[in-house]
Amino acid sequence: MAKPKKKVTSQERNEFIWGWIFIIPTMLGLIILNIIPIFQTIYQSFFKTGDFGRGNIFVGLENYQKMFGDSQVWQALLNTVKYALMEVPVSIIISLVLAVLLNRKMKGRSVYRTIMFLPMVAAPAAVAMVWRWLFNSDFGLLNHVLGTKINWISSPDIAIYSIAVIGIWSIIGYNMVLFLSGLQEIPGDYYEAASIDGATGFKQFWHITCPLLSPTIFFVLITRIIGALQVFDLIFMVMDRANPALIKTQSLVYLFYEYSFRQKNQGYGSAIVVLLLILIMLVTVFQMVGQKKWVHYN
Amino acid sequence: MKMKRVSALLMCAVMTASLAACGGGEKGTADGAADGGGNGEKLSVMIWDNYQEPGLKEIIGDFTEETGIEAEVQVVQWNEYWTLLEAGAQGGEMPDVFWMHSNESQRYMSNEILLDLTDKAADSELVDMSKYPEEIKELYTYDGKVYGIPKDIDTIALWYNKTMFDEAGIAYPDETWTWDTLVENAKKLTKDDGSQYGIAIRNDTNQEAYYNMVYDMGGEIISEDRKTSGYDNPDTIKGMQYIEKLIQDGSMPSMETMSENGPDVLLKSGKIAMSFHGSWMVSTFKQEDYLKENCDCAVLPMGKESQRRVSIYNGLGWAAAANGDNTENAWKLIEYLGSEKAQQKQAELGVTMSAWEGTSDTWAACAPEFNLKVYLDMREDMVVRPYSRSTVTWENRASEIFKDVFIGNMSMEDACKQIAKEMNETLAEE
Repeated sequence: MAKPKKKVTSQERNEFIWGWIFIIPTMLGLIILNIIPIFQTIYQSFFKTGDFGRGNIFVGLENYQKMFGDSQVWQALLNTVKYALMEVPVSIIISLVLAVLLNRKMKGRSVYRTIMFLPMVAAPAAVAMVWRWLFNSDFGLLNHVLGTKINWISSPDIAIYSIAVIGIWSIIGYNMVLFLSGLQEIPGDYYEAASIDGATGFKQFWHITCPLLSPTIFFVLITRIIGALQVFDLIFMVMDRANPALIKTQSLVYLFYEYSFRQKNQGYGSAIVVLLLILIMLVTVFQMVGQKKWVHYN
Repeated sequence: MKMKRVSALLMCAVMTASLAACGGGEKGTADGAADGGGNGEKLSVMIWDNYQEPGLKEIIGDFTEETGIEAEVQVVQWNEYWTLLEAGAQGGEMPDVFWMHSNESQRYMSNEILLDLTDKAADSELVDMSKYPEEIKELYTYDGKVYGIPKDIDTIALWYNKTMFDEAGIAYPDETWTWDTLVENAKKLTKDDGSQYGIAIRNDTNQEAYYNMVYDMGGEIISEDRKTSGYDNPDTIKGMQYIEKLIQDGSMPSMETMSENGPDVLLKSGKIAMSFHGSWMVSTFKQEDYLKENCDCAVLPMGKESQRRVSIYNGLGWAAAANGDNTENAWKLIEYLGSEKAQQKQAELGVTMSAWEGTSDTWAACAPEFNLKVYLDMREDMVVRPYSRSTVTWENRASEIFKDVFIGNMSMEDACKQIAKEMNETLAEE
């Protein structure tokens, strides 16, 4: 398509230079904060790390061998996947419905939108502390109101669901805003035409909104799965170390933190996080391929 | 094309997000430590206890008045404290002056992260190393070099709810109590409907509870040379079995409850009749009206046969970064904080008991509602908190294994043997 040996005009050269100048800060940030650490982490996972990053000893695949035999890691993997499977679909469905409802002309629309988005503004640590108190089995509001005595966050059978509830609650607003922006890109003509043809609200939602919103849904889905697989702060803040349910709720990132920063075994911690990296890459590739079947780009 | 836009956006998202895990930890901590680094003017001081902050600020205020050197205190919670300090040590940006703890001191000293204070302490007019307890000094000495000046010492006492004892018609705990008395009375103080329990000890309440029992029974947690575990010692197991008895008697709240609400919370909400607390808790307890009205403290029970009444004790040290920009001033501050005058004031203000010999007596008067003298009495037979280079690793592992005993999946004896096995492996790697 491009003609060979086309003379570069000064404007083109200018654009080229300025283009680079504009993206360099972002690229530097990405390289220094993300790309280099990726390789450092992978590199580190082959070492038995010494104190304060000194005196690392190369141990080859030993960390990985240990990891594959470590039932804690598999349990954490299961917990992580379980959490993602709960958080992502439920939060997407709820926020999609909310977005559709709040996309109409109505009184107090911006107030509702703000309220829904508020959890996103609050610091995750503060959110977790409040929920920790709500869930408290002895003094918590939830048990008090319901008149029950359920160990929401310390019973190994249900703690992971309680954590997921917090996760869903905190992320709904963010998803909703993305969906709202997606909804506003859909031209109103489609709905008018559908109304004339006699399509009801639900039919319109299913046959117009969903397909036209599918790129946004896909974007939210893929970013949220990645985010959910990296869940850490909620578990870290809500679950005490003495909590008997910890083993059934700790995620891979939590385990990584435990080994890297508490037990100072950074080599092993890195191996765990490489496992997570591979998991995320696989899931993401799978989704990128699968999207061709259901995402409509006009 | 929209498809391309979304894909591009996604690629970025994948890259940034998948690495937040790796980069995140280091990034966050490095930022935190960066403003901890000195710039030649103000000294940065890092501690982990909110409740000590006001008192220490006052003492540091005196220091500024005398020397003109300003210092800023930053409080970082225990868990993040060590993450931050570690990242700071690795990145070369540490606070100028900070607290050291026996759990971590060995690693920091052996890697020469801390400023060598040996000569400075020897030449100092304010600091006299002979005035501090021998074993606390030892915590912050490595290869004959001094890396920390003792800040305080702490002991353990038994806290009890007077109202509950009165109601049950049981005499308050005193020096005649043995661990058997405690187990017996804990059962009596437990109500069947779950509204009140005798005592609360968590699987990780080591220093404050079960370490004391172990040493009273003649057992040990770690050998003298810190090379082997003491958990398989029959006497250690005997001590730990008091915990098992308390669990089996139902004298303690469920582990779930205790993990959500620690013994201190349960005590101040009137759910339990007894619990063990270190002297460092007093600064929070004296602000609780419920505790002032209903609770008091007593000496720990003793071992029946050994007649020993051990308190595990520990003490923090003031340390400085070896590569700080401000080591001269940092030393001046540490020297001041370690001096008799500042130590005296630390006790008077009720911050903590002080390390300097004979300065702690005034501390007991800081909360007249409580019989704090018992903490001073507990100093008669002290054992230093067990430690080695990898304390955190084996201590966490022990807590983890004890969980199974608390849930009832494992006997205490099996748990102790399991811990001994794993702990010996950890110690062998040190």
